[in-house]
Amino acid sequence: MVDAAKNETLAVELRNIDKAFYGVKANSEVDFQLRRGEVHALLGENGAGKSTLCSILAGLYRPDSGEMFFEGEPANFKTPKDALAAGVGMVYQHFRLVANLTVAENLALGHPDVGIRLDQSELHKDAVQLGETYGLGVDPSARIWQLSVGEQQRVEILKLLYRNAKVLILDEPTAVLTPQEAQALFKTMRQMAEEGRSVIFVSHKLHEVKQVSDRVTVLRGGKTVGGVDTADAEPRDLARMMVGRDLELPTRDVGAPPGEAVLSVTDLRVQSDRGLEAVAGMTFDVRAGEVVGISGVSGNGQRELAYGLVGLRNPTSGTVILGGNDVTSASVLQHIKQGIAYVPQSRLGMGLAPGLTTEENLALKAFRDPPYSKSGRLVQSAFRDEGAREVEQYDIRGVRPGLPIRLLSGGNLQKALVAREVELKPIVLIARSPTRGLDVGATEAVRNLILAERERGAGVLLISEDLDELLALSDRLLVIYEGEIVGRMPVEDATAERLGLLMAGQREEASA
Amino acid sequence: MSTRRFIIEPRGLASPWLKLLVPIGSVLAALVVGAIFLALTGENPFSVYSHMVDAAFGTSRSIAETLLTATPLILTGVAAAIAFKMLVWNIGGEGQFIFGAIFAAGIAIWLGDGAPAYIALPLVVIAGGVGGAFWASIAAVPRVYLGTNEIITTLMLNFIALNFMNYLIFGSNSPWRDPEVATFPEGRPIPDATRLPEFFERLDYGIFIAIALAILAWYLLGKTRWGFQVRIVGDSADTARYAGIGVPSKILGVFLLSGAYAGFAGGLFVAGPVGALDPRSLALGLGFTGIIVAALARLNPLAIIPVAVLMGALINAGPSLQSIGVPTATVTMLQGAILIFAVAGEFLIQNRIRRPEKAPKAAPSSGEEASPA
Repeated sequence: MVDAAKNETLAVELRNIDKAFYGVKANSEVDFQLRRGEVHALLGENGAGKSTLCSILAGLYRPDSGEMFFEGEPANFKTPKDALAAGVGMVYQHFRLVANLTVAENLALGHPDVGIRLDQSELHKDAVQLGETYGLGVDPSARIWQLSVGEQQRVEILKLLYRNAKVLILDEPTAVLTPQEAQALFKTMRQMAEEGRSVIFVSHKLHEVKQVSDRVTVLRGGKTVGGVDTADAEPRDLARMMVGRDLELPTRDVGAPPGEAVLSVTDLRVQSDRGLEAVAGMTFDVRAGEVVGISGVSGNGQRELAYGLVGLRNPTSGTVILGGNDVTSASVLQHIKQGIAYVPQSRLGMGLAPGLTTEENLALKAFRDPPYSKSGRLVQSAFRDEGAREVEQYDIRGVRPGLPIRLLSGGNLQKALVAREVELKPIVLIARSPTRGLDVGATEAVRNLILAERERGAGVLLISEDLDELLALSDRLLVIYEGEIVGRMPVEDATAERLGLLMAGQREEASA
Repeated sequence: MSTRRFIIEPRGLASPWLKLLVPIGSVLAALVVGAIFLALTGENPFSVYSHMVDAAFGTSRSIAETLLTATPLILTGVAAAIAFKMLVWNIGGEGQFIFGAIFAAGIAIWLGDGAPAYIALPLVVIAGGVGGAFWASIAAVPRVYLGTNEIITTLMLNFIALNFMNYLIFGSNSPWRDPEVATFPEGRPIPDATRLPEFFERLDYGIFIAIALAILAWYLLGKTRWGFQVRIVGDSADTARYAGIGVPSKILGVFLLSGAYAGFAGGLFVAGPVGALDPRSLALGLGFTGIIVAALARLNPLAIIPVAVLMGALINAGPSLQSIGVPTATVTMLQGAILIFAVAGEFLIQNRIRRPEKAPKAAPSSGEEASPA
């Protein structure tokens, strides 16, 4: 039988999977086939159901209905432990590692063969050997907190290989990597596939999917839209399958002459939480009507640079001039009043008050003045009317009276956050990874809002780890490494390779 | 495929009916538990409960007594609610209540008969608030600037306040002690000009002051710029800092306001029914009971008013139970049960429990919801 022969090559098959969260279907009638020895990309906008599908496979969630087969046999994973015992493991976006333990100890953690006594030397040998085989070299005696994000990811993959997982699910693994690191990861993925393991690769990035995967399954609105061989799929077709319409990438005129400097930073130094110099003497200008992109691998001073510029942390030295005023050691409120707007990286952790309503969140900075408040009293009608206008104008969906904003989807959260900041009509807008984790539609909306600010004449500082985002929005790029600016270039001169090398710490002659 | 029989999941937005139903259900459930307990000890629960209702609401006198007890409970309830809303765990309402009473009685005795009532009374009530805020500040300042755990500090300060009051009356010849009573030490009666007038049996105007203060708290938190900032800080301190809101000053302000409300309760109780710094009449646990009131009212200052009346009725019914041979502690047990059910009920407001869907319908839900996060 053809069917039986086909099943022979299937590592995992899902039939008609349904899964709902509070009445909302996250997966609906999903069919999914994973062959042995393939890299299978899972594409889809945020909320398309990719994470849910992966979590069902990895035993974290259990489907409401539908059938699941593992190597031809019906499978019913009750817990991630069950799944891993059968050979299905997942690398989550937020790593599940114990920071104070060593790499080797993390590998041993939860391993069924590890008894009461831990044979460290054996463990180290295994770790080194696995690392060498798969190009996942990490020092087995290093503690997790000492490792970079990329190295930690390698440990996560090693953990799965150490358990001899046959199906490895990687949830947006490249989001935290430099281009070079991503290339190395792709090599590892290909190698695992050649050995007969199957890899599920979740990504937003079409060129990565195109480069590394054998087949692609596209999810939209919780349903499978289709599965195709990667070789036959044009990026444009895949994008259309994802969003159900043609993409409209923002078009812009890079050549528009920017005005005078609205933000001047001179020899800025800011400390990290641990008291180390995280921003180690940065000097740059942002001019009116331009987007300056700060490119770098996360953890190279991005957070402290943003905090130093918006008043959340006082710089240890240097000066910051905002629209002609020295704001170096001004408070957050003074920064806001002087015309700085800030889109932080963490939406619910900092940018929004999760338990308050959308209306209230839209007024989170402007509430001090009319129309929102008059002589110390809140004007409820202003909250309602302004809120309704912004919800309409910025297309923020899912808003209901009294609904805490945390219940909106990621894209709508970000639209609300960015809407509030641009409504301040700032002189300088600072945005950290503003489209991180957003679906294509919301990404486009947020990008357009940022470009509109540039048109209006604001200076925009875009701090991001996502090269696509930086290239799509910036006029000029600054590359930072270990708290210093190691490269400057107009965006036309940027190539992925050049940026990647700079981000990885390869200095070049400062220019532009 | 799923073998689980029940699914627990967060509710998006609880309906107003549920928010009303859960507290009422908590009280009913506690009464049922109490009834079982009474039946097991050989009492007839129905006759005990009807006796309690009688004792609390049967005569105009008992109604007045119920409202008299409700008066401080409204304020200690609001005190707890203000703080808890902002995740400041001030459980020192008892101590702040006592210090409110000490300050109020102190001012009243110091003023003597010299001041007219329209000056003396407001001063006494305000002194109560100042006393409560002062006692709260001892825990609040280290909490805000050094990060001490206010649960521990406020709890310990309750005992210090209680012992300090006992010292003033039983252990020293302080101005608070009545010099004319030699047999058993008592608090010195405060002058008539500093007493709240009675208008219905023993009920004085303090109940209206308490209700007005509860409404004021609701207004401050819900309708003012300050209250908005407080709510932001209570929701997420990092977000507040990001929005340029001074977090320490807001936490300090809320903590002191909470203490002031507990202190008002002490002040009104001294200026109302007690009329002296009398430990036996003041150390009734009204500050602690305020926590139950706040929890049952789901921290809503307006809902606290009826809940406080209910609790007042329960407390007043207690002593009368002895006349039919039932221990007064029955009431304490009922209070505890109500708190447990109210806290458990809060879980039902936040989450829903349902049976898994056996056969999911083919038609997708109407699509009013945005895509899942």
